[in-house]
Amino acid sequence: MKRRDFFKYASCGAMGTTTLLSSLTSLGAINGLTKASSAGEDYKALVCVLLAGGIDSFNVLIPTGTGAGGDNGFADYQALRTSLSLTSSLPLSVNQCTGHRGFNCSYNSFGIHPQMAGIQQLFNSGKLSFISNIGTLVEPIANASEYNNSGKKLPLGIYSHSDQIMQWQTSVPQSRNALGMGGRLADILNGNNTDNGISMNISLAGKNVFQRGQHITEYSISNNVDPNNVGLSSFPTWWPNQGILQDLRETAIDSLISKNYANLLQKTYSATAKESMASFEIFKDALKRMPVINTPFQNNSLSRDLQAIAKVMSVRQQLGAKRQIFFVTYGGWDMHDGLLTGLNSRLPVVSQALKSFYDATVELGIADKVTSFTISDFARTLTSNGNGSDHGWGGNNLVMGGAVNGGKLFGAYPKMDTSSSNPINISFRGNFIPAVSTDEMYAELALWYGVSPSDLCYVLPNIGNFYSYSPANKPIGFMNYASVNNINHPLDCISY
Amino acid sequence: MILKISHLVILSLLVICTCPKMHGQTIKMFGKGEVKGVTVTASSNASKGINTLKSTGYLPNEKAASRFLSQATMGTKWNEINTVSQQGIESWLNQQLNMGQSFNTQNYVQNLHQYIVDSLNAAGSAEPRTLANTFVDDWIFDVAWFQGNMVSPDRLRWRVSLALSQIFVTSRISAFDDNPYVLASYYDMLNKNAFSNYRSLIDSITYHPAMAVYLTYMNNHATDTTDGRQIYPDENYAREIMQLFSIGLFELNTNGTEKKNTTGQPIATYNNNDIAGLAKVFTGLSWHNSRYLGESNINNWSYTHRLKFFPMDSSDKYRRWWVSNPRIVYGHEPGPKTFLGNTIPARPVAQGELDIKDALDILFNHPNVGPFISRRLIQHLVTSNPSPEYIERVATVFNNNGNGVRGDLKAVIKAILLDQEARDCCQQEANISYGHLREPILRYMNLINGLNLSNQNGIYRNVMVDTYNRLDQRPLSSPSVFNFYQPDYIPDGPLQEAGKVGPEFQTLNSLSFTNYLNGLHRWLIQNTPVEYWGLFTNETRKADQAPVFDISNEYVLAKDNRLTEFLDKYNLILAQGRISTESINVIKNTLLQMPMQYSSEGVPDSTLADRRLRMGLFLIMTTPDYLIKR
Repeated sequence: MKRRDFFKYASCGAMGTTTLLSSLTSLGAINGLTKASSAGEDYKALVCVLLAGGIDSFNVLIPTGTGAGGDNGFADYQALRTSLSLTSSLPLSVNQCTGHRGFNCSYNSFGIHPQMAGIQQLFNSGKLSFISNIGTLVEPIANASEYNNSGKKLPLGIYSHSDQIMQWQTSVPQSRNALGMGGRLADILNGNNTDNGISMNISLAGKNVFQRGQHITEYSISNNVDPNNVGLSSFPTWWPNQGILQDLRETAIDSLISKNYANLLQKTYSATAKESMASFEIFKDALKRMPVINTPFQNNSLSRDLQAIAKVMSVRQQLGAKRQIFFVTYGGWDMHDGLLTGLNSRLPVVSQALKSFYDATVELGIADKVTSFTISDFARTLTSNGNGSDHGWGGNNLVMGGAVNGGKLFGAYPKMDTSSSNPINISFRGNFIPAVSTDEMYAELALWYGVSPSDLCYVLPNIGNFYSYSPANKPIGFMNYASVNNINHPLDCISY
Repeated sequence: MILKISHLVILSLLVICTCPKMHGQTIKMFGKGEVKGVTVTASSNASKGINTLKSTGYLPNEKAASRFLSQATMGTKWNEINTVSQQGIESWLNQQLNMGQSFNTQNYVQNLHQYIVDSLNAAGSAEPRTLANTFVDDWIFDVAWFQGNMVSPDRLRWRVSLALSQIFVTSRISAFDDNPYVLASYYDMLNKNAFSNYRSLIDSITYHPAMAVYLTYMNNHATDTTDGRQIYPDENYAREIMQLFSIGLFELNTNGTEKKNTTGQPIATYNNNDIAGLAKVFTGLSWHNSRYLGESNINNWSYTHRLKFFPMDSSDKYRRWWVSNPRIVYGHEPGPKTFLGNTIPARPVAQGELDIKDALDILFNHPNVGPFISRRLIQHLVTSNPSPEYIERVATVFNNNGNGVRGDLKAVIKAILLDQEARDCCQQEANISYGHLREPILRYMNLINGLNLSNQNGIYRNVMVDTYNRLDQRPLSSPSVFNFYQPDYIPDGPLQEAGKVGPEFQTLNSLSFTNYLNGLHRWLIQNTPVEYWGLFTNETRKADQAPVFDISNEYVLAKDNRLTEFLDKYNLILAQGRISTESINVIKNTLLQMPMQYSSEGVPDSTLADRRLRMGLFLIMTTPDYLIKR
């Protein structure tokens, strides 16, 4: 429906008793019925894809140099990874791997896992980049001796799933009790959304640390995004007074959960229950206006989740959302065993799901307004335990979207070397000190998303250890966005 | 009957779930509480009054009995409330602890499997069917698990094994996804060891193929860096057995609080060197029927036998049988193994299995195990935030059951359930962080038990797939080794502000909230409490294996003037009488607004009565007074 048609629509009584004046204020919402976003629409979304379990990302992005220009990357890779080595890869037209904060990029040529054609295509067409050797850090650690002998603060529980998966979501590795990065981001920008009936933070994976803020809690949805699938089941249609009974039920539940409970667990339960009850109608009504999205998705959990996200984005205006943060997980990466076959079965899912999702954002006209990125507990040991790899630290991840400075390899791909001559290796098994901190990646995403530079220390309490803002100096450089010169007054920083 | 125990003040031992108000006196009463028909008054300092009464055989009232059963079983049943209130808590507990393991899940799975095979053969299957060539899915295990719950008299065992399955986690979300035998075998092992010793439990777990595959030490190999290899022992189990199954991340005091170093920081129990050291221990284990280290499992049943130890790796001899000088290397890591400040001395690899025994002994004797395991069990059975004193009392029993035995799980369970912090519900009115959120699968089983789902033929075919989709929980389906929820999870809001944890709240969100309510709708309103599936294509439907809730005996209570009776009864069974009068009135007033007709004799119309009562039960199950078990 075009904007001018709205007045026709409104005037034929479909708006019921709503006055024209109040309808006009929701014009933006009605406008969402059109699929294509108007060019000037103020909308941005982040999509965090958690690959739970610790993906062996040194088999996702591999060095492929075969001697030209002294780049023996592939031989180094094979010698170290032995039975875990890939024998082939899809070439990436990498036009940048320059290193980061004093860490050098060890190779020039790279390829990705042969089952990731969709990702290759996005990379080579400039819609996707990798960040190499990124991981959890409290402050920079230059080398193994700083790791072993200095007073520098290290992340808690390096190599432990529960700690590392949490720290990737909080970006506060010195604490086991921190808010999530996406939660703090939403704390700052929540006011941007014209309607907060549905949280800025929407989860396809239930409760999670990433989206947990001081003032924000996630809204969890199922990947079956359908107005008939929201809220309470209806009583059977053959019951007389079906509708009245449903109202009675809802009133009773509302009354039971709205009591003022003294017990803290009861208080906590009823708070969630009340929020959920309040959001059913808003979400249901918005979904009734969902357009058809033609981009095909495959039938697996990650694809369904990302498709659901695209559907929710398609009703962003009905939801009054100018900023949204989505969270989805796809697990099964803890491949202590069966690594090669495991990657062969799971990486195509990731590749195809992300490609479909990118295409869907193109169809919705918001490709340059949506940035997706992967996170994972850690990378894995370079050496084998026979048929798999164990827990590591720094690894590689990807960022995808129309606003991404694509086709590049940011960070610093490490030397495939576990000898003592490799200063960042800290274990005989091959575990690397990260060159890039999660803070630096998140800072860049946050600045793109619209956080004032002066609020970065609220979103990322440790950011000062890695980066200080200036308009000419991006944290990493993987996002295209206009730098801000006027800095507003900072919120209080958080410290842990 | 009034006993006067003079010179006693009972401060924290009252079990009257409707706590009496004090009148400026140091006198309290109990009588409607733990001890049936007895009122005690006390007037000075001592704390043995309740124990005196307990040991002399006084009995709990119905609310106290129901409350105890909500901690000790998968769901309180009406008739069991009567049993316990007549028999007494400790007596019932002793009886349960001494009851043998009554149900064999694996046999039940195999019998269903055999029935499928026989049926297909009888129907003239083109290819003769055997167990080996006939596929069965993992939900056959769920049918067996549900059956076991429905028919087993050893109810405490099933409740404890559910807790153990969430501490010593293996999951079908793994390499053995659709094999029901491995799930059944692992669950039987937990049921068997629920009342054994922690040391034998951790041994059985370590040697179970489910764990070996789940935490990837199946066929784990000694270090091998010759001939261009770069292979090191898999570290997965070494890490998780310490972090999750025995000692945890930080050194603990007996009361479960963290020890602190001189700068006030917690003290890590292990570092990555300890992991690498312990990883060497768990090398050389393979399937019971493997011919060599590295062989794959033969079939589903390989998963049901204790692992076999291989000191040497002779796989090359089998894999390259044509080679005259196969490569024979160590399967089990030779040499000494150091971890947690202990060194297991070098011994011939042929005796390497003793390394495993020594390592498990070292873990077992670590002072953290008592408080670590005790806290977890208390959290599952009783309350999310036990006091340090409660943990210490239980951990002390773990450390020594009174007869010099460490790790006696019977004694530990008894200590947990008989502790004053578990039994005394009056104190908990004052302790505003007491209790725990009932986890989704238990809400379902509470309903099944509370409404006494039963079947004359004693057979229940419940695949629980829909239940799982709604609850996101069923046995042995955790998304990771960290369980459906973690013991230190802190939900937003008042618990966080108070510095308390709420593990089960990790499962609660806007979606799971709806899913639960809609689950209730299906089970109660649509009266489909079990999910019946055919076991094979074209099986004749056996409707008599899919019972529904029959509440017709209660219809008489649907009358306007008897609704309170009905609600009180199910408040007692389902919510241990914890639903406030105010909330009961909200429910009652809702039901009163539902249509009702009476016969000329004043009998309620059965259809309308059924709807009223089901709505009532639905609302009972949605109250925070029910959902938080206190």
